Amino acid sequence: MKIKLKEGFGNSALFFHKQSALLNSHTQYTEMVRLQPDPFLNELTNMFERTTEKGSVWVTLKHSSDKSKVKINKMKTAGEKIEYKCLVRATDGKKTISTMVGQKDHSRFQSSYATILKTRMTALKKRERKDRRKTADSDKKQEPKKPSSAAKPSN
Amino acid sequence: MVYVASWDDFLEKSLLLFRSQPDQTRYSTKYRHCDGKLVLKVTDDKECIKFKTDQAQDARKMEKLNNIFFTLMANGPQADISEVGVKEQIEAQPAKKGRGRKQ
Repeated sequence: MKIKLKEGFGNSALFFHKQSALLNSHTQYTEMVRLQPDPFLNELTNMFERTTEKGSVWVTLKHSSDKSKVKINKMKTAGEKIEYKCLVRATDGKKTISTMVGQKDHSRFQSSYATILKTRMTALKKRERKDRRKTADSDKKQEPKKPSSAAKPSN
Repeated sequence: MVYVASWDDFLEKSLLLFRSQPDQTRYSTKYRHCDGKLVLKVTDDKECIKFKTDQAQDARKMEKLNNIFFTLMANGPQADISEVGVKEQIEAQPAKKGRGRKQ
């Protein structure tokens, strides 16, 4: 009985990872820019201005202490108090900025942020009260709706 | 993605989520001026709730929520948010001084 052993691959093919090389050149990860609260607000305003015609602005809020998990565990075992802040990130899809807002400046930041939003979020629809006017000519709302307490489960 | 229909529902759920997972929860806002749409998302990477709108009145409610989250996140999950009322804007509004009477 002849057992033919098929020869395996003579030359192991070298796969040039062309695909991944291409990917690396295309996906440029923009770095996260960490700013102080005030420059952050200025940059945020600019972001809103830039995206008026097209694009979105994402703003994310997170409770954070800006320390790595290892450090946090160490601090916990040492009994140190970890100072928490509010991490605010903003991006327009291309550029990302972030800042840490502490307890002291949070109310000031909050009101400035609110002002920016109020000035910028003008594209939302105002509520129209067209319902009330329409029912004026037709039958006045009689609404013989009896309070549906008829379903009293009487045992 | 779970879209919540009522604002109050969304508010309640997001606070619950934050209080149970303060380290993991994040609150995200997306605004598109060209479409006039606003989407809010609160997630702890396990659960996720969203709220979308195109109404100006919801923007005011969102502001309140922003204030609540800022307070909670900067001060800690146990922060007291009952005082987060409607902050009167102390904007120096250049009030038009009443039209002077023609003398």
